[in-house]
Order: sequence, then C-alpha cells, then structure tokens
Amino acid sequence: MTVADHPKCGAGGLGCEVLKNLALSGFTDIHVIDMDTIDVSNLNRQFLFRAADVGKPKATVAAEFVMRRVKGVTITPYYGAIQDKGPDYYMQFQLVICGLDSVEARRWINATLVDMVDPENQESLKPLIDGGTEGFKGQSRVILPTLSSCYECSLDMLTPRAAVPMCTLASIPRQPAHCIEWASILEWPRIMGDKKLDNDDPEHITWLYEKALERAKEFNITGVTYSMTQGVVKNIIPAIASTNAIIAASCCNEALKIITSCSPFMNNYMMYMGDEGVYTHTFEHEKKEGCPVCGTLATDYEASGEWTLDEFIERLKEKPDIQIKKPTLSTERRKLYYAGPPQLMEMTRPNLDKKLKDLMDSGEEVAITDPGLPFSLRLNVIFSK
Amino acid sequence: MAASTPSGAPSSKEKKYDRQLRLWGANGQNKLESAHIALFNASAAGCEILKNLILPGVGQFTVIDDKLVEEADLGANFFLDEESLGKPRAERTAALLGELNPDVKGNYLVDSLSNTLSAKPELLNPRSTPFTHIVIISPVPTPLLLQIPIEIPVFLVNCVGLLFTLRISAPLHTIVEAHPESLVDLRLLNPWPELSALAAEKTKNLEVQQEMDGDEGMSDHEHGHVPYLVLLLKYLDDWKRRPEGDGTHPSSYKEMTAFRSFVQDKMRTHVPGGSEENYEEAVAAVLKHVRKAEVSEYAKTVLDHPACANVTSESTNFWIIAKAVKQFLESPEQGNGLLPLSGGIPDMKAESSGYVALQNVYKNKARHDAALVQKNVQSILSSIGREPSSISLEEIEIFCRHANFLRAISFRPFSAELSTDEFHKKVVKDAFESWDADSALINDYVAFRAFQEFITQNNGRAPGDTEGPLDEDTVEMQRLAKAYLSEVGCSLELAERTENIIGELVRYGGAELHNTASLAGGLVAQEIIKIITQQYVPGNNTILFDGISSKTGTYVL
Repeated sequence: MTVADHPKCGAGGLGCEVLKNLALSGFTDIHVIDMDTIDVSNLNRQFLFRAADVGKPKATVAAEFVMRRVKGVTITPYYGAIQDKGPDYYMQFQLVICGLDSVEARRWINATLVDMVDPENQESLKPLIDGGTEGFKGQSRVILPTLSSCYECSLDMLTPRAAVPMCTLASIPRQPAHCIEWASILEWPRIMGDKKLDNDDPEHITWLYEKALERAKEFNITGVTYSMTQGVVKNIIPAIASTNAIIAASCCNEALKIITSCSPFMNNYMMYMGDEGVYTHTFEHEKKEGCPVCGTLATDYEASGEWTLDEFIERLKEKPDIQIKKPTLSTERRKLYYAGPPQLMEMTRPNLDKKLKDLMDSGEEVAITDPGLPFSLRLNVIFSK
Repeated sequence: MAASTPSGAPSSKEKKYDRQLRLWGANGQNKLESAHIALFNASAAGCEILKNLILPGVGQFTVIDDKLVEEADLGANFFLDEESLGKPRAERTAALLGELNPDVKGNYLVDSLSNTLSAKPELLNPRSTPFTHIVIISPVPTPLLLQIPIEIPVFLVNCVGLLFTLRISAPLHTIVEAHPESLVDLRLLNPWPELSALAAEKTKNLEVQQEMDGDEGMSDHEHGHVPYLVLLLKYLDDWKRRPEGDGTHPSSYKEMTAFRSFVQDKMRTHVPGGSEENYEEAVAAVLKHVRKAEVSEYAKTVLDHPACANVTSESTNFWIIAKAVKQFLESPEQGNGLLPLSGGIPDMKAESSGYVALQNVYKNKARHDAALVQKNVQSILSSIGREPSSISLEEIEIFCRHANFLRAISFRPFSAELSTDEFHKKVVKDAFESWDADSALINDYVAFRAFQEFITQNNGRAPGDTEGPLDEDTVEMQRLAKAYLSEVGCSLELAERTENIIGELVRYGGAELHNTASLAGGLVAQEIIKIITQQYVPGNNTILFDGISSKTGTYVL
C-alpha cells in the first residue's frame, strides 16, 4: 500500500479505533490531534488508555500505544486544539478523518478544508470523513469539500436540545432537570459571583446537586440524582465501545476506498441504528443551495437603507441560522466595523450610527466574521424599497 | 456493582462506566458482569468482539484456539504483537485482551471446537457449561455446528474481506426494557375516575374571565397555566356532549382535525402575545395522544405465548409476571381490557404544583395497577411452589411500566436453517420476490450458504485458500449456490450480485481484513450486549454486512 500522509482529528472514542484501524490497514504516516486529557470515564471504550494514564494527553498516549503494538507505523501526536493549526498544516495530508465531539470544532474543520480548495490545484481538495455516535446509534459521512454536501449544509439536521424558558427555571420548575439548570444557570452566579463553574470539578457538581435537590424538595419534584446533575450540566451523551467500533471502521473503510480507489466510496452519508435490530440507511445528502460555507454565491439579505449599522448588526444577531456574537463587517471598499483590535474598533466605531445607505450601495457584498463563525459569511445586502 | 456513596457521588466503578450506565443502568450492568463469554477461534474479528465486551465490563471471557501465532496474524489482529510469534494464539490474545479491563477475568484453552466437543463435552453441556454465551468465528463445518446445544446462545460469525455475517441462535429471548422512544400512555379516551375528577375540578371556571381578585373567574395567568392534558380531557368531554354530536369521542382524521379547531377556538387571544402556550401544546398533542389505549402486537405476542399460559416452577420471573399482567388485563375488576398504566407524563406548560398534582394522579394509578399485578404474581408463585415474595415489587413495577413494549423473540436453531425447512424456503423465496431483490443482501446469503457448504465439504478449508487455481473453487462455489437455490425452489440462474459476492469470498480466501473485523466486532458486540442485558432489541436472526456498499440486511432464516 502507498504511504499516506494522513491525519485524523481526535483521539477519543472514535479516534482510538481509527488509529488502530489505519495502522493495521497499512497506513504508515498518521497524525493525530486532540486537546483532551484522559478521564476515568473514557476507560469504558477508549481502549488505548489504562487507569494509570488518567490525566495524560490522549493524543500522545494513543500514538505511543499504537506504535508500540503495530510495527512500521509512525504516528505524530499533537496535544492541542485543531484550531491551533492552519491551512499550511492541513495541506500536507491526503485526507482528514474527524471523530470530534463538538459542533463548533466540526464546523471549523469543515470550513477550513472548504476554504483551502483551489480549483487550479487538485491536491488542495482534502476529503473529510466525519463520524459521530450516541448510544447504540451513529453516523459516518464523506465530504468532498466544495464538491459534495458539507457539514454546514446539514447543520439543520441537528436537533438541538430545546432550551427551557428562563421563567420556568426561575419560578415554575416541573422536572428534575429544571431544578438542575436553575442551580447551574441562576443560583451559581448569584451565590458564587464571578467564580467560574467547572463542570469537571466534583465539588462544583456536588454543590449543584445539593442545591437542585433542595429546590426539587421545595416544589415536590422527585428524581434529582448526582448522575442526572452531571448529565444535564455537562450535556453527557452516552457512549459505548461497540458503537465507536462500528462508526470508526466505517470511516476507515471509506478512507481506504478513497486512497486506494479499490471501489467507489460512500455517497455520502450512512446512519446506523442499533436500538431495535440492526438498521442502516445510506443516502446522498445534497448540497444546500446558498450554504454559507460551500455555496459559491453570497446569500441575499434584505435590509432597509435607513437602518443604522448598529441596528443592522443587532438584527443579524437575532438570526438563528447565523449565530454571531461579536461580528466584524467589511465590504470590498471599506472597513464597516471591527470588533477588535482596539485601535481598529475605535476607528470604525463611528460607523455604527451611520445609515446603511451612507455606507454601501444596495446589492453590495458584506463579509462578516465572528468568533462564533468558523468561516466568513457573505451577504448581498439589498435595500428594500 | 458497587452502590453510590452516601453523598450521592458516584463510586469509582460508576465513574468508569458512567457513559454506558446511562444506557442500560445498574440492572443491565449486573447482567453483563455475570456473563461468561467463550470465543472459539481467536481471529481478529473474534478479538475485536471480545474487546468491545471486556471494556464495558463483562464478567469473564475464555479464548479457545489451537493455533500458534504467525506473521499473518500480526497484520490483522491488534491483540497480538511481535513477542507473540510462535506462541499459542489463545494464550497471547487472552493476555493482551485482559489488559483492557482489570475487573474482567480472562481465561484461555489451547484447543479447537471439534476437540472440545469430543474430549471435553462438559464444557458445552448446557447443565455443566461455565459459559453463558458462545462466539464462534467461522470456518466451522456444519456437523460441528449442529452439535452445539440449542440451550446456549451462540453467535456465529463469518468475516471475509469486506463482508461479514452474524447468525444468532438462542433460546426464547425475553425483553422488558426495549427502550422505545417513549413509554407515555395518557389514557385520554379511557380516563379513570381520579383523573376525570381532577380535570373537572381544574377546569371548573375555565370559561369565566376573572374580573377582580377573589372572584370565581380564572385569571389570564391561571388560564395560561392549565396543563394541556387537563384541557384535552375537558374538551373531549365537551365534544362528546355537543348537541350536534353523536356522544362519541373524535376518531376519524376529519373529526380529529375538527376537534383540534374546537380546542383552538377556546384559547384566550386578548393576552400578551395573542396566544397561550398551553393551548398550543394541547392542539399539537391531539393527533399524537388522543387515541384509544390499545395492547400492542408485541405485547400480545408475549401474553398469548404458550410460555405465559404454561407457567411452571421452572419459569423465569418474566413469564410469571407476564401471566400476572395477562390476568390483570382480562379481569373486569382489574385492567378490564387495559394493561397496567406506565405512569409517566411529558413535560408541559403548567405551574409547578398543578403539574405535580397531575403527575401524582398518573403515578398513583400506575402504583395501584402494579400492586394488583403483584397480588396476581404472589398467587401464581404460591401455585407453583415458590415463595410468594420472591419477586420484588420493584421488578414488577418496571415490568408494568414497560408492559406495552414487552418482547419475546424465538431464534430459530441452526438445524432448521441448515436443513432448509419450509419456513426457511419461504423467507428466501419472498426475499427474492421483493422489488429490491437485485441489490438485496439475500444474494449475499446465497453466496455465504455456498461458503458454509464448501468448508463443510473441504474439512474447514475456505474457498480461495489454496495453492491451486482459484477458478476451480469459484466454479465449485457457483455449483453449491445453484444447488442451494434448487433446494429452496428458486431460479437456478445466479444473480449478478451473488456471483460478485462469490468472487469476493474466493478472492480473499477466507482471510479477514482488520477494518471489516473491527466493524464486525462492534456490531456483534452490540447484539451480544442486547442479549445479555435483555434490553434493547437484537436482530433476528441473520445480519449481513457488505462493506463495498456500506449496507446491512437482516433475515429470519
């Protein structure tokens, strides 16, 4: 088999499996990035780690273990965030396999790889293989940046946990989870002030548990437990070794097909459901027209020329499919508003009070960047008549 | 499993197993920790299966294998290393697998399945075996397979190239906790007196607008916090009493949508925002929750099963409680045609106290039903000579909560499949008549069935595992596949897909690819965990995986 420069992100449940599978499939040069250290709750599935490894970086321990066991493979670990690295780093690989646990990290790597594509240079297109699991279920997918549906195209497939209205938490709790959220969202800052809540600190969890329990008692609500407190506060997703094995192997299977061209690779999404029998569904997830990451055109956005720039930004913040907090805006010809650094912010701040029609023409493209956005959003701002 | 510490903080075991306890609980974990898995043939797939059972903490495992470690093993099996070369595979894989979890006891035997069957029959005798579940990695000739007693659950795996199959053979398998999406059963069309009384009381002045504090009317705040369950109960009652109605509940789709508008129209719209959340919830719940409480087909299968009617002193708790539930269902004084109530209600817009009061009406009814079932259980236990209190109320309550989702699965034995009985023939013929037969994995099954015949006739040798020309094996595989199809009564022409799969099987000569073995390891371990914990629903009985197109298929063969 050819030598494949080949990274994967994450040395967690999927990551351990992926490293093992790649090493035993003949890949000889693999890179692994993970920012986490080993926790005791990882040991029920992350089989490259032992109790004595708790506290050590996952990437390093995993790389060393697999190199010790499988001869002839070099695994280069990086203990840090995937965002620490830029396009130059990702350009050296043939493809990327992701076993990430957060939506943010997935959006970031997806946008980065899409952004790297240079139509003049075939080598700049790095296939992205993404896997995820929850309990007995999971999914794997192949993304060819700019060519097929990307992670951002399918963002609406996620069903975010419905947020409980603040008034329910504050005055009319009905469920044990309401009492727990009250303790972590309202009671902790009220009593502890600026002290940061650490979800991994057992003392903090115990504090929340006891507060939640008291509140539950007051309202005759039953069912608050320590385990539930931890689950709600950390948003814990159940995870088992066997599901990780299935999804990781499916990802590696596709990686092998892409690298060796031995058979057509998956087009482009597989769901695995093991709760009731064994059921898989493989389908083509289609590119979303106007996807802010892989779409080729800027999206149209209707605004009034009479709005001030400040008003325009406030309205953007309310849009649920954008999710921005501290945006920086610019057009081809001028800087509209910079959220940082301080000098640029000072310089552009006066624009906030100016009307849009005095800053740009109708139909002009506005580029928006934000800490919450892993890519730059482009909007054609069209003035309504 | 160690209990939590007094402060409620988790024990070290609970910490380690936290992510899985959230799926199968202490109950499932205890069952897992009591299991002892035997693996025959320490191949890559076999070791990957064990890995995924050792990590979550299965009680014990025993690797049985008579081969010595060769160079080729190192390329596929992660649980062998260079130091293992030349040593017994059973010993080395047991050692490296054992490192995964200090809480699991690992054993090994340098031996083969055929020799175990002939020289150590006690190991596979259902009365004396230490093993609770057996995993066998093919190739195993059919006569050996048929010697394994049907009382022990067996997981037979073929793993070749990009393909694998799993065949489960097990005694009657029962499930209480199938983990459906929801256990909620609101009984809106079959309310019991306490529920009707609560609804009537809470909606007494629903239509009266409060004019001033203390009058009998309902303020907008109160009106907007009447739980939607209560609203639906009231409006269902009103609907029945409409002068233009016929005194029945809405049932057809047309009536349901009319009823929805009937509810919608009662919403107060002069309030801030112009609508009330509880009314919106009520309207949205009509199609989902306004229906007659019925006994599901799955529950009927369990309650009508001969094992339920013929409870003896040998029966498991499952069948004893099932019989008690059936008595409850049929007794006019108890369920009167309805199962015990599950007792849970969804969250809904309400004041805390109003919600808790409603929740208690459901919980109390569920407790009351379970207490009646407990009485039935006690009298059944006495009648079969068991201690009447030998089944705990907690176990009965869990059973009652899941009563409508019970499962009993009969796995057909290997002998029924491999003798191609009438049932088997029908399943295969039906599969070939389905609209997607060309691409269906029944074609793969035909190829694997030929594979099984081939290894049986060639003393365990896999097709393609030869120094000679591959063509001969391919021709023989095609002949065996056609012979099988003729036995079933299907067309003798091999489908293109079957030919392709035969080609794959011969090309790999029975060899495992690590990646496919790893996928098999995950899938098979999931099924074993479902069988051990008696939670979730295992596939029945043959699961095929094709890694070329990333597809699976399940058949009852």
